[in-house]
Amino acid sequence: MINKSYQKLSSLLTIFAFLALFSASAGAVDLNSLVYPSLNQIAIPEVEEIKLDNGMRLYLLEDKTLPLIQASVRIHGGSYLDPVEKIGLAEFCGDLLRTGGTEKYSSDELDELLESIGGSAETSIDVIAGSLKLSMLSSYTELAVEVMAEILQRPVFEQAKFEQLMVAARSSVSRRNDQPSGIGDREFEKVIYGKDSPYARHTEYATLNAITRDDLKAFHQRVFRPENVQMAIWGDIDSKQIVELVKKHFAAWEKGKEPIPDFPKVDYQFDARTNYVDLPDVTQSNVYIGHIGGRLTDEDHPHRIVMNNILGVGFGSRLFKQVRSKAGLAYSVYGVFTANLSYPGTFYNYVSTKSESTVKAIRMIIDEIKRIQTDEPDAEELRLGRDRYLNTFVFNFDSKGKIIERLVYYDFFGLPKDFLNKQMEMVKTTTAADVTAAAKKYLKPEALRILVVGAANKLDEPLAALKNGEPQKIDITIPE
Amino acid sequence: MRQYKAIFTALLTFFILLQPISAPAKTDFDFSALEKSVFEHSLDNGLKIIVLPRHDAPVVSLVTWVDVGGADDPKEYSGLAHMLEHMAFKGTVTIGSRDPEKEPALMADEDRIFERLRLERLKGRLADPEKLKNLQEQMNKAIANAYAVIEPNAFSNILQSEGGSGLNAFTSRDQTAYIISMPSNKLELWMAMESERFFEPLLREMYKEREVVAEERRMTVDNRPMGKLVEEFLSTAFKAHPYGNPLIGHMSDIQNYSREATQRFFKKYYTPSNMTIALVGDVKPETVVEMAEKYWGRIQKRPAPPRIATVEPPQQGERRLTINDRAQPAMIIGWHIPAETHDDMPALAAFADILGQGRTSRLYRRMIRDEKAAVSVSSYAGWPGSKYPSLGVIFCYPAPGKTNAECEKMIYEEIEKLQNQLLTDEDLEKVKARAMAGFIRGLNDNMGLAQQLATYQQIWGDWRKLFRELERINKVTPQDVQRVAKQYFNASNRTVSSLETIVEQASADKATATGETKK
Repeated sequence: MINKSYQKLSSLLTIFAFLALFSASAGAVDLNSLVYPSLNQIAIPEVEEIKLDNGMRLYLLEDKTLPLIQASVRIHGGSYLDPVEKIGLAEFCGDLLRTGGTEKYSSDELDELLESIGGSAETSIDVIAGSLKLSMLSSYTELAVEVMAEILQRPVFEQAKFEQLMVAARSSVSRRNDQPSGIGDREFEKVIYGKDSPYARHTEYATLNAITRDDLKAFHQRVFRPENVQMAIWGDIDSKQIVELVKKHFAAWEKGKEPIPDFPKVDYQFDARTNYVDLPDVTQSNVYIGHIGGRLTDEDHPHRIVMNNILGVGFGSRLFKQVRSKAGLAYSVYGVFTANLSYPGTFYNYVSTKSESTVKAIRMIIDEIKRIQTDEPDAEELRLGRDRYLNTFVFNFDSKGKIIERLVYYDFFGLPKDFLNKQMEMVKTTTAADVTAAAKKYLKPEALRILVVGAANKLDEPLAALKNGEPQKIDITIPE
Repeated sequence: MRQYKAIFTALLTFFILLQPISAPAKTDFDFSALEKSVFEHSLDNGLKIIVLPRHDAPVVSLVTWVDVGGADDPKEYSGLAHMLEHMAFKGTVTIGSRDPEKEPALMADEDRIFERLRLERLKGRLADPEKLKNLQEQMNKAIANAYAVIEPNAFSNILQSEGGSGLNAFTSRDQTAYIISMPSNKLELWMAMESERFFEPLLREMYKEREVVAEERRMTVDNRPMGKLVEEFLSTAFKAHPYGNPLIGHMSDIQNYSREATQRFFKKYYTPSNMTIALVGDVKPETVVEMAEKYWGRIQKRPAPPRIATVEPPQQGERRLTINDRAQPAMIIGWHIPAETHDDMPALAAFADILGQGRTSRLYRRMIRDEKAAVSVSSYAGWPGSKYPSLGVIFCYPAPGKTNAECEKMIYEEIEKLQNQLLTDEDLEKVKARAMAGFIRGLNDNMGLAQQLATYQQIWGDWRKLFRELERINKVTPQDVQRVAKQYFNASNRTVSSLETIVEQASADKATATGETKK
């Protein structure tokens, strides 16, 4: 009872304070008096979906604004499939698809062809999926489809290009400790998922050296199958013509023999750990604090979005206010709870701060993680947390590429077409109590994993003072 | 069937491969329609407004472009343009204060104490340590007191909670830009707030924000090997012109900024006639003008700011520098070239394209593809700025086991080829085709387009030049490229900077000694 009336009082105070902010002085604007017209209708275009007999899925959207044809292809399968002794295989394959030549076009011919018309086609393969992105003047529509067919179905992984890529890959291993933030991003994934996890592991000289061109061909044969491919094409196109062209170039592509294994599970135990990478020369620490995250389909994910906005996203968040604005300890500070569809994301909070304020900043962040579980957001925080999502919702639809690529992603994981709208509806009705409940359910301040990349002997206090597990040094020496 | 297909595609390819020779990549897209839909207007106070209505989605990209950058920093306050960009987010007299009555006095306390602290610090080794300590404590207290009456981040919060997306700002050597996209029904909110912050800005949190900027410097320069190399490179390449000064400021200058100096800088450069607003999206020009008159019209006309008179004198001989770091080797080489508006620039852009942009460029083919001497090499004309005479630059990262010296030699050999052998028309047609496709792609994005319009307005005094850019490039001949290659890319006009890797033992010894001495 007391609690409740206190709450009411405090929200009244906030409203009062908010009004005071806007109280007009002579000549100044009065933001409260502004009346906004209703937003013009968001026209969500209809995407045409076609499935070829061999299982390949095609998504089309006509948009004649500019004389461009654009395409984005998603291929199911990624580096999670790499054998442990050949880490880098999928990544290599992703690079050489485009740069290693095809049966019809040598690598040089393809470069020459694309660059002479200002076209671009780029490929890559990440942890869970491959991608081909293409953009050309629409006067080259036939060529666009043909080039995609060559790249996806008939790459040859030229020996010379393979060697060139090997040089680049070795170089990137040798350079991977050049930037503290690069070290932190890489090592924190290992701290969360485990150093051998398919979601965190990375190449070494030994795993690179074990990869052969035959391995690349075999990987391609196994993964690049029509049933794993979703091809989105939009822009200044004629759907009928595209369907014909796609059929002409892709209908004969044979299905794979067996399905690709599912994404491996993440086996995570909550515990408190403190790790550090010692870089004696640096003047600033890169700090990561967090634990395992969640999935986009978790039923209360919309509540978590609001919670996350209040805790760590943008200029108005608690972390930003405390660590940057109030204490002036950082240029960059934020917290993110990521939610994937394929495997659980990460809850991580990041700050870069001078060596001498490292432990102080870590304490502040941990305090804020605790506080979001106990101190319900006030009315203004809640409004900000929800509005940040709701008022920017329109930006989910401001480009044809965004609309169609999201559709492809959702379609792969079997999400309904109105998934995003349902999420938005739930964000709209999120209450302060929902935020606290989500924070209590998903955040574990007693079981945080901390990584500090900095100069260990310049810190304001030893890391042991955090009492978050015995600090463990991570050796980042690159194995020969 | 199969054979037919093969013949067909072969013909198609033949046709396409031929096409660049006979005619550049073609499109019947009418740029003039787009150009004609751009609307411009100037307010009485000199503010320039550029509007491009586009109603595909109910959003609008909004840009405020100020013709002031790091090059305009006062001598003793390097980085001040960038600092002011940070301060522009601190709110206004009415936005961001919990107690507008008390706030001015609390800020005056900060200023008074800081001035005493600053003067004591300037005594250097003769400063009284007790006095410094005492003043620093008073300063901390005054900062805390002033902070107690503010509503932190109120300005950004309002915009972001109303749907502002991509709220940001950046400072370059040539300009300061403030950008955001909004749901188009919130246009008036942006008009009111954006004009307010340049009408009645309040530089609150000045002394706290200096610490944030210091962290930014540590992050982007002091602890990033390439950041250090860039800073050293530019200060060596420019002896007179301020392009050589650090954009983010020297650490000692950052710690010396006062509110008064920042305010003076603001008054001088943030005059309405020195600013352009560009809007691309779901808005009507007449509404934009009406609102702009109401809100931006409040700002009084002020004299135009002074421009930079210093001209970099011709370089008299090669300059070289080396920094040692634990990082892997890297190199930046630069040659002095003219400003963007100079007639040689299109040929220089073509030269940079052919030399080091993309997989068919000379440097890529020789150094990455054939000799595997580098893992990355690229060239660019017009860096670190383009408003004043600037540099043509090459960035190079040698491959493992290869050295900066080996790469440097190859780079010069490839440049010599362009100096000695005339390009074919076909080479140039490719450059032109890429320029056109890139231009069209740029039109796809509201924010990119708004920034382009503002940039051309600033650099040329006329946004229309954006639509003339292709014509400029299309006029370039092989003779032009050869001439600029000879004229600018010679040894006495260049600066060569290298990052050389220190061996582990030496670095272990150094670890204890650095930190303080380095800056």
